[in-house]
This record gives sequence, structure tokens and C-alpha cells, in this order.
Amino acid sequence: MSTDAPPTPTEPDAPRPERERDRVRRRARPEGDGGRLGPLSRADRRSMLRPGDGPMVIFDHVSKVYGPNAVGLDDVSLTIDSGEFVFLVGPSGSGKSTFIRLLIKEFDPTEGTITVGGRNLSRLRRSKVPYLRRAIGCVFQDFKLLASRTVYENVAYALQVIGENPRGIRRKVPEILSLVGLSEKADRYPNELSGGEQQRVSIARAFVNHPRLLIADEPTGNLDPETSIGIMQLLYRINRTGTTVIMATHDREMVDKMQMRVIALENGKLVRDQRQARYARVDS
Amino acid sequence: MSPPFFLREALRSIRSNAAVSIAATVTVLIAVFILGAFIPSFLYVQSTVDSQKQKVDVDVFISDAATVDQVNGLQTQIEALRTQGQITEFRYVSKDDALVELRERLRDPSILEELPGNPLPAKFNLQPTDPENAEGIIAALEGHPAIDQELGISYGKETADRLLSVARFIQWAGLGLITILLVASILLIGNTIRLSIFARRREVEVMKLVGATNWFIRWPFVIEGVICGLIGAVLSVALLWAVKVGVVDQWIADADSALTRDEATTIGFVWLSLLLIAAGAVVGALGSGITLRRFLKV
Repeated sequence: MSTDAPPTPTEPDAPRPERERDRVRRRARPEGDGGRLGPLSRADRRSMLRPGDGPMVIFDHVSKVYGPNAVGLDDVSLTIDSGEFVFLVGPSGSGKSTFIRLLIKEFDPTEGTITVGGRNLSRLRRSKVPYLRRAIGCVFQDFKLLASRTVYENVAYALQVIGENPRGIRRKVPEILSLVGLSEKADRYPNELSGGEQQRVSIARAFVNHPRLLIADEPTGNLDPETSIGIMQLLYRINRTGTTVIMATHDREMVDKMQMRVIALENGKLVRDQRQARYARVDS
Repeated sequence: MSPPFFLREALRSIRSNAAVSIAATVTVLIAVFILGAFIPSFLYVQSTVDSQKQKVDVDVFISDAATVDQVNGLQTQIEALRTQGQITEFRYVSKDDALVELRERLRDPSILEELPGNPLPAKFNLQPTDPENAEGIIAALEGHPAIDQELGISYGKETADRLLSVARFIQWAGLGLITILLVASILLIGNTIRLSIFARRREVEVMKLVGATNWFIRWPFVIEGVICGLIGAVLSVALLWAVKVGVVDQWIADADSALTRDEATTIGFVWLSLLLIAAGAVVGALGSGITLRRFLKV
């Protein structure tokens, strides 16, 4: 029942039935590819990721070398389609974090090209990286919340960053907080919350912009199994709204239970890419 | 994305990092106070020396034996010097005038009654444009037949030379000190701000990950720097004012020295205050804006 990764990526801007809004945007920028762009208008910023009919993420022979003996990723090629839920598994140091940090362009690959939402990251200018990150929701093992701000303010910050008006913020933040079940704790500070609650805040912050792509780096790494299930359910619900979710994890049980696509890395190499898979290879 | 938002963010971070903000403010206060005390002192000394320099004048003594034509010739030559701009003004002091001047200077003019005639020579009194150029003026006039052979030309060489070298020393030493103070203040303030930002580098990192642009992160820090700089500078101006009114003015009024009686001027307090406050704001803004650069590279 295992299949290999989908073959050659399709053209990112292949025609497809699209909503009127998308069509207008595309007409405004006929060359339609990422990276090299003039000043971004507001609409462009919102549509930083426009995978069209093509895959959300394409890694094309990507390598990342940190030093002579430190290889982050070694010749990885894969594609992740829009709307997929993908587990990224592998032992510590296998390259999961490198994979994720490359996706948000914390640094560039040593070799190969990465395309996210139809946008070639190596052609994306440094100054445009913030706009890429706004289009990608990020959840981390250590939550990365602003300690001096309340739950409400932490989520609101993600909206303030994109220039959302105060009215929109007052509407959206309570909405998302009730979605993650934290309406009661809006005025608490992160250090007054449990790990699971903090992770919910971080998910709320990542999802409040409704990004097309959500990346979670071991979101359950610091949590007990029961709390982890809650977080997992939340991510699954987010995936069901059409958001592509990439989740790096160690959590064997979780992966086995979910039966989703599994991408396994080892020493920076892609060793397995299976749909509806388990954490470890099962020879059926 | 609007100024009020950035202002609120700046105030929030001042509140939540009160200790560091106070440290930065106090640093600015001390640095500005030292500058604010030094600048007027330096200007005062400088202008005192300048006004002393103006007192360096050149006396050209005229021989009693000189003919009217010779004296007129000498006057023409001196007028030429004025046209060239080497001297600002000159005046003729006749023998009688010289006696009157001497009588006024003496505490007991009665000794002059003993004199058989008027032994004082007539003279031209010249005011050099640049006291340093006195030698040049002397060289230009020397050897004129109307000039008294023995007395010649006098300009109080030793006094003038000493005064001029002191003036030059004060000027350079003062400029050097002000420069060192400025650099030290900027380094000190920059260092304090670096500490405050270092304490918040995790926060900056998170902001970057959420997709904040560099200026979105930087503005609140810059505004915070300006606020701390302004408060520090205003407090130190208040302190300077207290010291001026309470100590310096009193001291000047009490002292009866040659220096205080001169019309030496210094920078007005209002201008000094404005200068210092502006400097505080600029240093605060630049200090935080530049220091933050290092932490924005995520």
C-alpha cells in the first residue's frame, strides 16, 4: 500500500479553475512567478503563496552543509501537495530542523532549489522574507511566545505585523482563541499556562492569518501523551480546512495512529516517503 | 503599522523592562550633565582668553625730532595697513594725551608735578586684527624715520606670547576633551542599550519568525531610545539649571577676579538646553537603532 512520492512537480502556475479574486491578482502580475518582484502591493503580500494547481512544497536536489563534517540535508528531492498532512520523522540530527528552517528561509540551501507555494526561495530577496513567513504558520517545540505579552496580545501581534486594523484584530483573536479552547485564558501570561496551553496559543498565533502552509517542529515534544493528542487533533482540524500541514515529530505512537504520509530522514538523507504510513517501515 | 501603535509598543517595553530603561536614562543623564557642565566652562575660558587677546595692541612711538612730514608719512603707511585689513583701528596719541593717560593711571599723580617738561613721546596705538600677526605689523613699519630710535615699537611681546600660547593650548585641549567626552558618552549609552536589547533578543527572534519586517521591530526600539534619551537629557538640564542658579551664579557674583569682570560670554542656557536635549534624543535613537541591527539577522 505504499507509494513513492509523486513524480516530477507540475508547473506551479498551471491553469486551473480559480476564484475570481485569484484571477484578478494574476492578471495584475502576468509574469506570475516568485522571487523577483517589484514593490509588493497589499494583495501580493497576502498571496505570497500561490501554489495554483501545483505542489505546495518542492525540494529539488536540496543539500545543506554546515561545515566539513556537519551535513544538514543531503540531496533531498520531494514534493508536498496542497492540502496534504505530512509527518517528518527521523532521529535527532537527521535533518528535520534543517528542512523546516530552509522552508522559512532562515538560511539558503548549499545546493538545489526550494519552491514554496510556487515561489522559488533562492530568488526571494532577504527583504521579502518577512512576507513569506506571514504566509506560513510556524509552531515550535518551545512555543516561542512573547513572555511579556498576554495570550490575547501574543495572537494579536501576528495580526498587527501584517497591518490588520484594530477592528479586525478584536474580531479575529477571540474567534481563534475559542477555536483552540483558550477563551478563558486570554488575559493570562505564557508562564501562567501549562505546556499544552502554551502550545495552543502558539497554534492560534500561527493559524490566525489562515496561512496556506503550517509548519510544526515537534509541537508535542515537550508535552505528555494526553495533551499531545489534543494538539494533534487541533492540527488535524486545521489541515481539514485545506491548510497544508508539515509536522516534524519523534512521536511514534501518534504517527502510527494518524496513518498519514510519512517522510523519513536519516543523516540528512531521504530514506522513505510513504503514504498512510507508520513511524517505522513495515514490510507488508 | 501606525505611529500610535509603535508608540504604544515602545511604552510597553519601557514598562516591562523598567530596570534597564532606568539604567539607560541615568546613563544619558550623567553623560549629558558632564557635557552640559563642560561646554559652557570651555566657552567661558575661551572667550576670556579671546577678550584678553584683543588687549594686545601695538604702540609705535614717535621721535620728538620727527618732522610733520615724516609723521604724516608714517600715518599713511599705517592707514595702508588698515586698508589691507592687518589692523582694525589706530589712533594718534599726542604727547599731551599721553601725559593725561598716564596721570589717570597713576594713583598719586602729584609725582608728575616734579617733571621738568613732558618726557613722554607721542605714539600711534594700533589694534591688530589678529594678535598673532603683531610681528608682521612691526616688520612693516620698522625703520621708518619718524619712529623713536630708542623706544621703537612695543607690543608687550612676552605677555602677548604667553597669552597666545595659553589661548592655543586651551582651544585644542578643550576641543580634544569635548571630543573624548562625546565619544565616551556615545559608547556608554550604546553599551547600555545593547544590554537592554540583548535581554530581549529572544523576543526579537520570535517577532522575526512571525513575519515582522525589520522596521516593524525597530521602530518601537528607536522610539524607546528617544524617550529614554529625552527624559535623561531633560533631567540633566534641570540639574544643570539647579547647579547654575544655586552655585555658579552665586560664585560669580561673589568672586571679584579679573576674569569675572571681563565681558566674557558663554553659550546661553536656553540654547545649551536645546542642544543637550536634541543630543540626548539623537543618541538614544541611533544607539538603539544601530545596536538592534545585529539581532535582526535571523
